[in-house]
Amino acid sequence: MNTRLHDAAPKPLFARGPGLALNFFLLGCLSIALMVMDTTSPRFAVARAWAAWALQPLMWVAQAPQNLAQLGDTFQPRDDLLAENRQLKQHQIELDARLLKLESLEAENERIRALLSSAASLPDRVLISEVMATSQDPYRHQIVLNRGSRDGVYKGQALIDANGVMGQVIQVNPTTCVALLITDPDHGIPVEFNRTGLQTIALGRGDGQGLSLPYLAGNADVKVGDLLISSGLGGRFPAGYPVGRVFELRHAAGENFMEALAYPAAKLNEGRQALLVWSEHGADPVADVTVPTARPEVKKTQGERERGSERLSKSAASKSPGKNASAASSANNPAMGGEKAGASSLKLSTSTPAAPEKSAADGSADAAKTSAGNTAATSTKAKHKADSSAAPAPPP
Amino acid sequence: MTRHSSFPAFIATVLLSLILQMVALPDAIAAFRPEWVAMTLVYWAHATTDKPVLVTAWLCGLALDVLFNTPLGEHALALVTITFVVRRLRGSLILFPLPQVSLVLALAWGAYAFMMFWIDGLSHHNAVPSLRWLPVISTTLIWPLAALAMDRLRAQPKLRRLT
Repeated sequence: MNTRLHDAAPKPLFARGPGLALNFFLLGCLSIALMVMDTTSPRFAVARAWAAWALQPLMWVAQAPQNLAQLGDTFQPRDDLLAENRQLKQHQIELDARLLKLESLEAENERIRALLSSAASLPDRVLISEVMATSQDPYRHQIVLNRGSRDGVYKGQALIDANGVMGQVIQVNPTTCVALLITDPDHGIPVEFNRTGLQTIALGRGDGQGLSLPYLAGNADVKVGDLLISSGLGGRFPAGYPVGRVFELRHAAGENFMEALAYPAAKLNEGRQALLVWSEHGADPVADVTVPTARPEVKKTQGERERGSERLSKSAASKSPGKNASAASSANNPAMGGEKAGASSLKLSTSTPAAPEKSAADGSADAAKTSAGNTAATSTKAKHKADSSAAPAPPP
Repeated sequence: MTRHSSFPAFIATVLLSLILQMVALPDAIAAFRPEWVAMTLVYWAHATTDKPVLVTAWLCGLALDVLFNTPLGEHALALVTITFVVRRLRGSLILFPLPQVSLVLALAWGAYAFMMFWIDGLSHHNAVPSLRWLPVISTTLIWPLAALAMDRLRAQPKLRRLT
């Protein structure tokens, strides 16, 4: 045999053990069975989590070059550090001053929201996590974070950074978790245009750069440069965080729909920290960092406050965006002026595919939005209409 | 000389390929990352007969599935398949010089990329198809160099004495 030409190990004259083809057949069948079971049932999640844990050393080694490159940060001239320290202190004072103002603004905001009988939208519980690894496939945008089920991370948790929404957790391991970024082609996030309140869904394009908003009506009021914020419909993402900015509008001739392309606001491939946000679960996380929620003296009775928090939890509990929107529309019909409803019916056809009932509704679904100040809590208005009419205005 | 003389080199290169598959690259060239694991396994299937390449391919595939969060078995199936094909065709392949083998193996990388594409499609993971074929090019280009390097490694007397 010509194997002798190439290798020291001679091929045995008679093959021993199971044949190569049999081996291949068995392993192939095993792989296919695994794939089918893995995609159809969640049973393998635990095994996967432990396998990921066992493979962590490999991940650390793979990360080593990156860490080594950052070693340069460790050695810096003392003067530079002192200067930076001074600068940071100044900045801190500035921020403190601004925070003071923010507290009063937040109090005011809460009062105004109470007037509108909508719940407060920004969550207060976050956890800083470090990015351990990024998926290197160009067509899978995932990152691995150093927080897991031990820190109370749950599947579906929203992930943000200093600039906007990054993605959501799709797999929780004991000490790590995997998050899907908003640019992944599998990812969609309910958003609204900050300028107009127009609601739609932003899908990842999968090219690593952009988001695509394919379900816009041809005559929708959208401009290049419009800011997209998370709408909070669906209860998974907290409302009001920047998601992206439109950079291109594509209007195919003869098509009813227009597509907008946006760059994500979050710096998805820069920085090593990300914030995990608790928005829907009432789970009790071990929060390393708790953003101080200003609890200024809003003159509200205890009963009202409780009602407010109850609203919040109910809005989180109702998950289907379609249901929310249609409920809101039906309840707000009598409250809305006819003109407003007519004006906003233009936007109606732009409703997301996840909410087909919404477009079938009678034209005032978006009217609710225009008045409710673009919060995800519009749906709660319907449920608590009675509350809102009964709630007394806060004293000046 | 023992029969398993190049076994340490085998284990070392497979581990190294797993790590190389994960090392962070700049965004601009990340799409061009060669399929290191496939390349290493195919090398050993092509160069030797005494390594349990199929089982190794399967285990490596499962590891990749866990690391890249793909359906369990996706990488495993693709790796086992191309390793099997190369091992099967080994008798003919080793008759050719390295450049020609490199060209033939481009088909193997293409098959690998196609299987990933196919299974991703079945599991409803849409992706940009054009980016999928870039690793085929880079793997074909890097393969001769990697093969030569691993040839040298396999011939290292030091590694042989270890066993």
